[in-house]
This record gives sequence, structure tokens and C-alpha cells, in this order.
Amino acid sequence: MVLIDHDADTSIAATRLEREARSAMSYAGPKIRDVTGEFDAAAKQLPPGRLVKDEYFTLFEAVGALEIMDPKMDSGFVPEDDTAEPEFDVCRGLLPTEVLWIMDQLLGLLIGWHDGYPLSQTVFTSLHVDRLLSPDNRRPYNLHFGSSVSTGVSDTEQVIHLVLRAYCLALVKSCALVLHTIQLQNFYEEEDFVTHLFGRELLHGLSAEDALGSIGEAMNWLPTSDIQKDVRDALSARLDFIWTYVSLLTNDLNDWHDLTDVLDTIKATHHLAPPIPEAFSDKVQRQLASSTPPRPMMQVSWDLACQKWREMCEDTVAAGRLTTEDICQSPQSLQRAIWAFAYRDPPPNTYARAYLQTILFGAERLGENTSFFDLLLVDIRDLVLAGDPLANPDNFLIEVPSDPRHQSARIMEVFMDKVFDEYMNFFRMVCQNRCRIRRTFTQSIGVLDSLEAVAVQTDADLDAITPMRNGDVLLCPMTCWVRYQKLQIMIWTIQLGIETDVYLPHELSLMYWLLSWILERKLSLITHSEVFLVWRMSEANGMRDTRVVAECLSSQDYLRSLRTQVEAERSLSIALWQLFTVLTAVKAIKPLKQDYARELLLYEARMKSYLGLTQDPIPPLSEYKAARSALGSVQEVCGTTTAMTKQAKSHLAELKKMTPHQARYVGTEEQFKREVKQMETTCVAIAVQTSQLLRLSVHQAEMGSATSEEKLGIEATVPAPGSRYHDWWVVPQIKSTK
Amino acid sequence: MSGINQDVATNAPSQDNEQVTGDVKIHYITYGSEKESSWLPAIRQLISKDLSEPYSIYVYRYFLYQWGDLCFMALDDQDNLVGVIVCKLEPHRGGPMRGYIAMLATRSGYRGRGIATELVRMAVDKMIAKDADEIALETEVDNIPSLRIYENLGFLRTKRLHRYYLNGNTAFRLILYLKPGIPYKVTYPPEYPYPEGDGSTPHQQGPLDEDLIQRQAAQLDIQDIHDQRFNLIARSDDFT
Repeated sequence: MVLIDHDADTSIAATRLEREARSAMSYAGPKIRDVTGEFDAAAKQLPPGRLVKDEYFTLFEAVGALEIMDPKMDSGFVPEDDTAEPEFDVCRGLLPTEVLWIMDQLLGLLIGWHDGYPLSQTVFTSLHVDRLLSPDNRRPYNLHFGSSVSTGVSDTEQVIHLVLRAYCLALVKSCALVLHTIQLQNFYEEEDFVTHLFGRELLHGLSAEDALGSIGEAMNWLPTSDIQKDVRDALSARLDFIWTYVSLLTNDLNDWHDLTDVLDTIKATHHLAPPIPEAFSDKVQRQLASSTPPRPMMQVSWDLACQKWREMCEDTVAAGRLTTEDICQSPQSLQRAIWAFAYRDPPPNTYARAYLQTILFGAERLGENTSFFDLLLVDIRDLVLAGDPLANPDNFLIEVPSDPRHQSARIMEVFMDKVFDEYMNFFRMVCQNRCRIRRTFTQSIGVLDSLEAVAVQTDADLDAITPMRNGDVLLCPMTCWVRYQKLQIMIWTIQLGIETDVYLPHELSLMYWLLSWILERKLSLITHSEVFLVWRMSEANGMRDTRVVAECLSSQDYLRSLRTQVEAERSLSIALWQLFTVLTAVKAIKPLKQDYARELLLYEARMKSYLGLTQDPIPPLSEYKAARSALGSVQEVCGTTTAMTKQAKSHLAELKKMTPHQARYVGTEEQFKREVKQMETTCVAIAVQTSQLLRLSVHQAEMGSATSEEKLGIEATVPAPGSRYHDWWVVPQIKSTK
Repeated sequence: MSGINQDVATNAPSQDNEQVTGDVKIHYITYGSEKESSWLPAIRQLISKDLSEPYSIYVYRYFLYQWGDLCFMALDDQDNLVGVIVCKLEPHRGGPMRGYIAMLATRSGYRGRGIATELVRMAVDKMIAKDADEIALETEVDNIPSLRIYENLGFLRTKRLHRYYLNGNTAFRLILYLKPGIPYKVTYPPEYPYPEGDGSTPHQQGPLDEDLIQRQAAQLDIQDIHDQRFNLIARSDDFT
């Protein structure tokens, strides 16, 4: 062992610093001496297990440590009966059908990378790709680089050096293009996707066009070869696939359906390809820069790979369809569209989500003539300021400082600048994975709460210029708007919590209670806005300004759709919180022992995201407990539940009648209908379960077996996410245990 | 801690999988804080038995050297190691004193005896005695037995962590508050390095992500008390 001037008496950190300082100052180069003996002697001074570390040595470093020569940790370890390098000559001619197999295998590995596997376990395991990516290889990136084997002119050699090489070049360039798209957008490393290149460059000296040029050469050669026609066509289809794929990634083509068309041809000829697994090896990991232990190559299932390719194409097509001009002009429709994209089943992969984000955030404007700033203004106007000159875009162009419209517009602008980033997040975060949507939204609540405080001041400033009062009531448009957004985000965090199984059955009473409380607040904001809208409309009618009247009528429709939807959701949440409360009370939902828990602390842990609110804080635990104990008998609760379900159904019936423009679901008509249907089914299911509960409790009361409510002999189970009528609305399944 | 039994460390898996029946007297001891215990090989063997990517010795030392008093072991009447829990306790981002349960394992033949629950209780009690404010851990979303143990003791699921483990499995973070007012405590963002990358632009993901760092560091969450170790090999079930 050789160390450079190791000084055992000082601390490691000091030693490190000293060493670095010395080597920086030394011109003569370090003096090298063997310190093995000293090191051994020093190490013997320490008892076994004594951890010598500086304060910067964290768990992170501890986990990163590897034990050399441990086969499970050390990727350089070579077992006695094995070789360090794969024994496969990538320059060797292969049967055209074998090349087919290699191409298909690469296609599977490539979609595996899209699915979250690192390149080291997928594309990089191809020995042909590995040769092209060799650090010493240079443009034009030949396979025979660095090897003494000369290229021949036989078909079996040409199919390698011309066809397979071109395919690999294009495939590697596709990785570079995909990485570029993904890394410009929001995603979560390792969780969604692994961008690590393990020290390799993705053909730095070669452009995508060059790679496509090689594909062209290969395509031209194929008809001149003596390869059997069906195999030749199959090879050509694979070249076509990778050519189309790269062209889509470079935006030279736009319709991802083109790719699915070729995919069908490829699938039909896959049976021609005999496996040649020796063309791939995880031994390439020995040459890759990585601190991760050796990991096996991903196993490819051809059918599943094809399915995933198809899904990616369809998701990408959907991303385009959900961001058309008419959708992008309405912030509410656009938001629905992004949610619809996120809820495609299975969820779109990271590239497709980055593709959507590129459409939305890649340029200054959405489509031809909408910016996010415009969207924000429309959003505010639609909710709280329709028909009010304050939200008139023309005001923002007035430059006379004494003009009150200019002054108001400046105040609005300053405020909108402050909320802008968070507003963008409402769109961007929905492009993330489901767990992250919930978690980033919980972080958003606090931000919106402080923006609400800013809004209070903004409203006061606006009011000083142009009073906005209806009698004694102040409009407070900005406060209303921010609070509305905050409440909506809070609602989503709870609903996503329910969807991702964060709450246990016995917690659902509390969560639906809180949900109904929030929905109540949301409803009163809508009412407040409606009152002002009617007041403004009466004035606007007098002015006969058709633009203003149209704006007001449109907002009125929108507010009515919001009201209807919120009423439906509120009725459902009241029905469910009461139902879950009574089921917990009669022990149909078993409480947990929770030995170490204290009621207040559980409440604090559960409500953590909502506790810090200073504007309109959530109710304390005592309020929930009071509401809980104010509930009547099983029969009474069943009465309320039934009534609430009926109410919800009639609101949903009303909601269904509203047009896409009225309720702002342009472009997601199908999803809107489906969701309303799911909620209707939920209503029916709640009614059925309620009558079941009522029947069982009455029956058992008559049988005299129910001396107290606690012994009703009823069991309620909670369907898992994915097996509910709607993942946000949990209907318990009630049955008798007797 | 004298009764070291090397047999524990060399137990063949086939023996290990056999359900032990009848009365077995289990007793519990603390790892301690004086020196590296002779139990370490057995602990390591028990925890990493089925891991394709075992933790290096430094991961164990990281915990055991600093928080040996928060490591508890269950031994049978021949002093064979049948269960172990490994924890730490330190301020979380300069805020609450957070206990963290890093590893918990029981030998498969000794299940259904409440050994894991007892180990967790001992760790929780010790953390309470050491003035912990809260205790956190992660476990796989489909590890029902593990979730049940913690939830019965009062832990709550607070976050779902997408593809948290190396094998691609998703986790829940669980938390138990021991004192009131924890959510109001001020915390500061960690000064962790970015996880290793290829030197390209770090992905945009909001300010300093605790979860990401934790996931990278804490692939060591062997919360699988039923020894159904997550397969750290590539998710073969996805593609086969």
C-alpha cells in the first residue's frame, strides 16, 4: 500500500487539507514512500469497529462504500472460472436473422431504459453498442475500430458493418435526444428515469442527421444483397423504425402513429430471429464508470416491450391532442387536459411526460397567441373579476401614470408576478408521478398561504384606487382567487392521499370530514364571487357593452359549474365522513391498538401540511370530535347519508347538462363524462351500502342481539385503490359477521 | 454479551427457513456502545442474507458505532441471534430530534412470536428515554406484516415514495410523533451533495429534495420483517 505523506496524528480532515495544500504547492511532485507497515501499525491501535470519520462522512458515504473483491459489491471481481472481458468478436459476420434478433433485443432494452432501468443494464450491454461507444472510438465510429479484423464484403459482414452499425448509431443518438428532452423538464432522477451515462459519451462527434444518413446507406444496400427477401424486408422494417423514431425525436416527423405502424411490421417478423444472447453481456459494466455494484442485464419480454412502445407512441399522440389551440386558451380546460393525461392508464412514461411539458413550457407561448401570463389573467377574471375593468387586458397597456387604470394594472401585475411560479406549478406538477403530485402540492399549500397574505395587501391597494364593494362587503378579488386555489390544492392533496392509500380505514372519517369542511369554504367563495358578478352584470347591462356582457355570462356559467361540482363533492364527503364515523363507532372498522400514539399527536402528524396556515386555519381536533359526537344513531346517520347521496346525484345530473365551454372541459369531454359516471356509480354504491347497514342494524336490534351499538356484528372492508368506482371516493363494503 | 455462537453466522438458509415450533424462550439484549460487538457478523448475516447487493461493513458500523444503544437483538435459549433492530437518533435538518429505524429483521423460522414488535418497542422506548421528538422509517407499500407492526404501535403513513428502493418498489414513510408541536418546529434544508451523475445539468426538481437523498442513502431500509427481501436485482418481473 502506498500513501502520500500520511500523518497519523492529525485528524483526517486536517490531513486531507494539508495533503491538498502540499500537492498544490509542490512543483517537484509528491515524494512517494511505502506506508503499508505504518498503516498496519496505526490500524492496530484502534479497536475493531471504531469508526474514524470526519463530520462530513454521512450515511450517504457509508452506503456508497464498497468492499473490494466481494462479488456482490465489486464490479471488477472476476470469478476464477470466468473471464474479465466478454468473448465475442463484434466484427464477426453474422447471419442476417441473428442481426434481426440483436436489433429486436436492443429495441426491448431501449424501452426498458425508458421504463426506468439504467443504460448499464440495458442498451450498454450490447457489445456492438459498447464498441461504438468505446472512449477511444472516433467519428465515423466503426465497429472494427481498434481491432485487427478487416471488413469484408460478404453479406454476413456487410449486415454487421453496414446495417447493424447504422442501427446502433441511430439508436444511441436517439438516447441523446431523449435525454435532452427529459433533462430540460421536471422529473425525478432514479425514481422516474436514470440519466446516468457511466462515463460514456453518446457519439459526441456524430449528429442525428449523420446517423440517419448511415441508415439511408444501409437501406440502399439491402436490395443489392443476396439476403432472402422476407429477412431483407424485416431488416429494412427495423431500420425504418429507428429512422422514424429518431426523426420524431428531432421533430422532422410529428405523427407518432408512424412509429406504431412500423412496429406492427416488426412484430410480425420477430419469429424469424434466432436468439444470439452472446452479443450482449453485463461484463461491460466493468468498464463503465460507476460506484454501483454489478447488476444483471434487464430481461426483455418481446411482447411486453412492443406493448410499451405502443403505449409511449399513444401517450405522445395524446399529449398533442390534449394541447390544441382551443384547449390552451382556457386555463381550466388545459388543467383538466393535463390531469386527463396524468390519469392515462398505464401512466405515461417519463419521456411522454417530458414531451407534454415541452409543449406547455418549452416556448414563451402556448400555441400561437397565449402565454401563461394571459392564462393567469383569464383564470383570475373567470373566477372573480368577469366584467370588471380591472381584469381588462387593455388596462395593462395604458402608460399614463395618473390614470387609475394604469395604477391598478401595475398593482395587479406586481401581484401576478408573485403568484406566477406557483401558478405554473399547478400545471407542471401534474406532469409528475402520482406520489410527487401529492407531495409537491402539500408544499404548495404553505406557499399559497403566504401569497394569500400578499393578496390581502394587494386588495387593499386596489380598493384605495377603485373601491370594489357591494354595500358593506368588499370584493377582495385577489384574496378570493388565491384562497380558492389554496383550497383546491388542499382538496387534491387529500384526494390523492386517498388514492395512494396513505390513510388507513379508520382515518377516513377524519379525512372526509376535513374534505367537507374545505369544500364548504370553497362553496362560500364561489357564492361570494357570484354575488359580485350579478351586481356587476346589472351595471354592465346598463352600459350595453357586449364584450363585457359575454364575459360575465361565460363566467356565470363557469361559476355555476363549479358550484354544482363542489356541491356534489361536498354531499359525497359528508355522506362518507358520517358513514365511516358510524362504522368506526360500531367497530365495523376495527381500530388499531396504536400503543404509542396520542390522539392530539396523531392529529398533528396527519394534518402536518395544513397546520401552519395563518390565513383561514383548519379547525382544531376538538371541533372534529365535537362533530363526531354530535352524530345521532345509526339510523339517523343512515338517513343523512341517503339524503346526501341523493343531493350529490341531482348535482351530478345538473353538471352533466353543462356544455364543455360552460364547464370548461373542452378537449376532455370523454374523461369528464367518465368521471361524472364514476361519481354517480359511487352515489349508488353508497346508497346500497347504507341500506345494508340500516337493514343489519334494525334486524339485529329486533333480534335483541344489539344491546349496544358496539355489538352490531357488522364488518366493513375498504376496497383497495384501483378497485373502487372512483379512487378518490371510498365506499365501504358492509356485511354481517353473524 | 459473551455467548457468541458462530453457528448463527453460518446457518444454512434451508435450516433457517424451517418454522421453529414449540416453546422457545427469547431474550433481548442491547448491542451496546463500548466496542464492536462479536455479534456483528451474525447481525450482518441476518440482515443481508438474501440481499443481492449487501451493505458494506461501513453501513453497519455507521449505525452501530454511533448508536449501539439503539440496536437490540433477540436471542433464543442457545443464544442464537433470531432478530435485530438497528436505529439512529439525531436532529432532523436542525429541527426535531428524529429517531430513525433503519433495519429490522427476524429469522424466518421465528415469526409470529411478536419478536419484531418487541424489538421495535425496545427501540421506541429507548428513543423516548433519549428525548426523541419523533420516529421515522420507510417500508415497502406491499409489506403488510411490517406495516401492521408499526401501525399497531401508532405510526402513521405520511408519504408514498415512488420507486424508492433499488428494486423499483415503492415505499411508505411512516412517522410517530412523541411530543406535541413537532410540525411547527423550524427545519433547514440539508446540505447534501447532489447524487452522483454524469456531470450534466442536475434535473430540476424543486429545492433540495430530502426524499431523493434519503432514497439514495437509505436503500438500507430493510424493513422486511418477514425476510421477503426485496429483490435488488433488476425488476425481472416487469419484463419477463
